[in-house]
Amino acid sequence: MRDVMEVANSGVIWIFALLIIGLVVTQGLLFIRLASRASSAVGMSPTEVRSALKTGAISAIGPSLAIMVIAISLITFLGDPLTLMRIGIIGSAPIEALGASIGADAYGVELGSSSFSPQALTTVVWTLCLGGATGLFVVATFTKSFGRAEKKITGKSKSGSKMIIAVTTAALIGAFSFFVSGEVVKGHVHTFVAIGAGLSMIIMMRIANEKNITWLKEWSLGLAILAGLLVGYVVTII
Amino acid sequence: MTINEETNLKEKKAVQGMDAYYDQAHLWGRLTIWMVIILSVLLPLYLSFILGFHPGWGPIIAAYIAYAALMGLAWTMEPILYFPTLGVSGTYLAFLTGNISNMCLPSAAAAQHAIGAEPGTKKGEVAATLGIGAASLMNIVILIPIIFGGSYLLSVLPEEAQSMLQYILPAIFGGILGQFAIKKPRYAVIGLAVALSIMLSPIGALKNIFVAILITVLVSIYLDKKIIKA
Repeated sequence: MRDVMEVANSGVIWIFALLIIGLVVTQGLLFIRLASRASSAVGMSPTEVRSALKTGAISAIGPSLAIMVIAISLITFLGDPLTLMRIGIIGSAPIEALGASIGADAYGVELGSSSFSPQALTTVVWTLCLGGATGLFVVATFTKSFGRAEKKITGKSKSGSKMIIAVTTAALIGAFSFFVSGEVVKGHVHTFVAIGAGLSMIIMMRIANEKNITWLKEWSLGLAILAGLLVGYVVTII
Repeated sequence: MTINEETNLKEKKAVQGMDAYYDQAHLWGRLTIWMVIILSVLLPLYLSFILGFHPGWGPIIAAYIAYAALMGLAWTMEPILYFPTLGVSGTYLAFLTGNISNMCLPSAAAAQHAIGAEPGTKKGEVAATLGIGAASLMNIVILIPIIFGGSYLLSVLPEEAQSMLQYILPAIFGGILGQFAIKKPRYAVIGLAVALSIMLSPIGALKNIFVAILITVLVSIYLDKKIIKA
């Protein structure tokens, strides 16, 4: 475990992470400049430009802090730079957690276990990086033609796209059920932690949807993780 | 020059301005994304062959296929589904920034709402771009100190809390499953029943993520259709 974390926090991985962050920052600044220049062409006043920027930045604070709670919980498995570049930026926590678990599973070990070797970490990095690159490849290659594709797809029957969403949701539920069950068979504390996190998520989302509380939706996963751990702690001291 | 001609000229100028905008957006959007793709391939290559931690191609390919089977639809459909809201420049920005549904889309919508720009219009696209661009920078500003502070915090946690860290995975998985269960409670019940029976079954070969996914999808969709018909 110690060796693998030395690799995960090594200088070269940091350099990759910082290069990628640098590119994200560069792109952000470039596009803000492009959009500000084009603003007058679409009838936007300089005041409106500032207002759009300010609103975007403020709206990001809540989600960003919520992302961090999840990111910190993944640092123990992936180390600082990988967590920074995959969960904080580019990816998103649930999908990267899925990819990391699949990678470790394919190498025949579990995330964070004592047998999680540098080779297992490398499998995880391959999975996350190739997966992320595939998604970006689609965007880089097809964004020019999306305008047309969008019209075609929305023009087609609604039942088709409903079916696609249903199959995707069922597939993801199947995957996460597999991982939850893998934890459940480890023992009763694992089981209670999973149930605690799952139930608190369901309750929070119910309340958030009913009363339309946006911040609760943003924080739900982070809070659910903490609630699950708390339930686990109570179970261990009982 | 009549007023009519003047407005024509203005419109022409606006169209030209937007054409140049799109050309630039495609150019810089693609360039930055391709550079990140290259870095994303170089990093695992470095771990495998320079540091010598290559796990063999077998697990890498198996993991990639499993991941792609799950995420393939999202990778191809998400950009198309979000395109009406994000537009060309917003798409390049959001997909490189990540956290699309939980951060980029809300920020884009808030920016559009703040200045009364309709999604799907040119003004809406420019507003979304400004909103996501600002959100992305804000995210990074918040992220870096918290990651450093976070790993420090983890190192000074009291022993009791440290020992709870071993239960982070079930907490994350349980929480995410709960998120999906809200959308499709029936699927979640089916998924858990399927996965638990796989885990507890004596046949080791069944303990495979593909088996869990396939049976969950088939049973969920089959029952859905039956209920719709009835």
